[in-house]
Amino acid sequence: MSNQLMILLAVLLFPGGVFALVLGLALKGADRRVAARLQSRVGPPLLQPFFDIIKLGFKRTLVPEVASETVFLYAPLIGVISMVLAAALVPITAVYTPAPAIGNLLVLLYLLMIPGVVLMIAGSASGSPYGAIGFSREMAMMIAYEGPLVLIAAAVAIRTGVGMGGTVSFSLSDIIAYQQTHGSFLLDPVMWPALAAFCFFYPANIGIVPFDIPEAETEVLEGPLLEYSGPTLALFKIMSALKKVVVLNLGIALFLPFAPENWLLALVVWLVKMLVLMLVGVTALRVAIGRMRIDQAFIFFLKWPLLLAVASLAVVVVV
Amino acid sequence: MGLIPNFKTLATRSPWLYRINAGSCNGCDVEMAVTALIPRYDVERLGCQYCGSPKHADIVLISGPLTVRVKDAVLRLYEEIPDPKVTVAVGVCPISGGIFRESYAVLAPIDQYIPIDVNVPGCPPRPQAIIAGVAKAIEIWRERL
Repeated sequence: MSNQLMILLAVLLFPGGVFALVLGLALKGADRRVAARLQSRVGPPLLQPFFDIIKLGFKRTLVPEVASETVFLYAPLIGVISMVLAAALVPITAVYTPAPAIGNLLVLLYLLMIPGVVLMIAGSASGSPYGAIGFSREMAMMIAYEGPLVLIAAAVAIRTGVGMGGTVSFSLSDIIAYQQTHGSFLLDPVMWPALAAFCFFYPANIGIVPFDIPEAETEVLEGPLLEYSGPTLALFKIMSALKKVVVLNLGIALFLPFAPENWLLALVVWLVKMLVLMLVGVTALRVAIGRMRIDQAFIFFLKWPLLLAVASLAVVVVV
Repeated sequence: MGLIPNFKTLATRSPWLYRINAGSCNGCDVEMAVTALIPRYDVERLGCQYCGSPKHADIVLISGPLTVRVKDAVLRLYEEIPDPKVTVAVGVCPISGGIFRESYAVLAPIDQYIPIDVNVPGCPPRPQAIIAGVAKAIEIWRERL
């Protein structure tokens, strides 16, 4: 019973739910502020994403006549729920270990696909032609980046499993425990191709400028989100904030989970790592380069990240 | 002071802008897009953000004298913006038609068709004037929330 209560608390309060939401929005605020500074602007206040969510709560929700109303309104809710669950799956070194029943890399991979699927459903349910374009682009992007992710996860799982004397281990706690004793995969040359592939993957999954083709404002007017207004749009913003936390935390768990024993220090170290991953991998990237075309991004992902991921899998299996 | 008024005050720190070109010569649009609202003056520090979709908008900036040809499109766009919203007319054209006032193809003043809350006259208005207009619109918007 207490075990179930712990899982519930993990999902609703920490590290899922409230904590992940606040952290995700704060990261988004830091991202916007730093991006503005890099463009020599003043930029919005750090709490801007919170103001945006509050504001959207006061607006009306309009449902287009041609939309399929039920799907249109409930799709974002499914996305938020999946991400709240996913946030509770990823461990934080020395701070939080998920219950063995839920802390599994494979479950996480499935949950991570849901926001993309939700965007596709939302885009097609809205009945807007821009939504339909967003749908097809989102699908192409998912095909392009999900392959490398699965291979990266497999490489990490095999490395951990073999290192621990078995064959393969998809338990996130095992992956972290292995790295705590044998050093992070960040310092393991065998894992560098997988790390490089992950560095390509996470900006695409978070959906920022070079890879935000499905929601490109200037081309398809935010695609699937075009017809959403008010609280339903706020749900999408919440979903993407939670997704940032999940994806960044996944990167930390897979490649750089080193942390001190003390839980408070470990939490601080973890927050710093999140911020660095966000500012280097996302903010600097989106300020530095423009958006790719969908065909360029598709070919890019099937070329480099996939090649790197396959190489890393091969190296891990051979070594 | 209750919780809801507090939240409303916080909400006014996130006004999202949407531009409608109602047959403008593009002078005011250049002023809005390039000078007034991007790096040099940076209204993002007020929380403003341009949005691609009218359904995300809070403050509508309309420029141009409303030509006969775009009238239906403009009215339809205006309908698609969810309440509560505030309208800012940028430039002298929405007020009187400006240099186009004698034309057979012009329906100015625009407030015969759309309720206008703030007028920012000028041909084109200075960036500072547009920012002042947006600030005024935020005050009006606070009362409507």
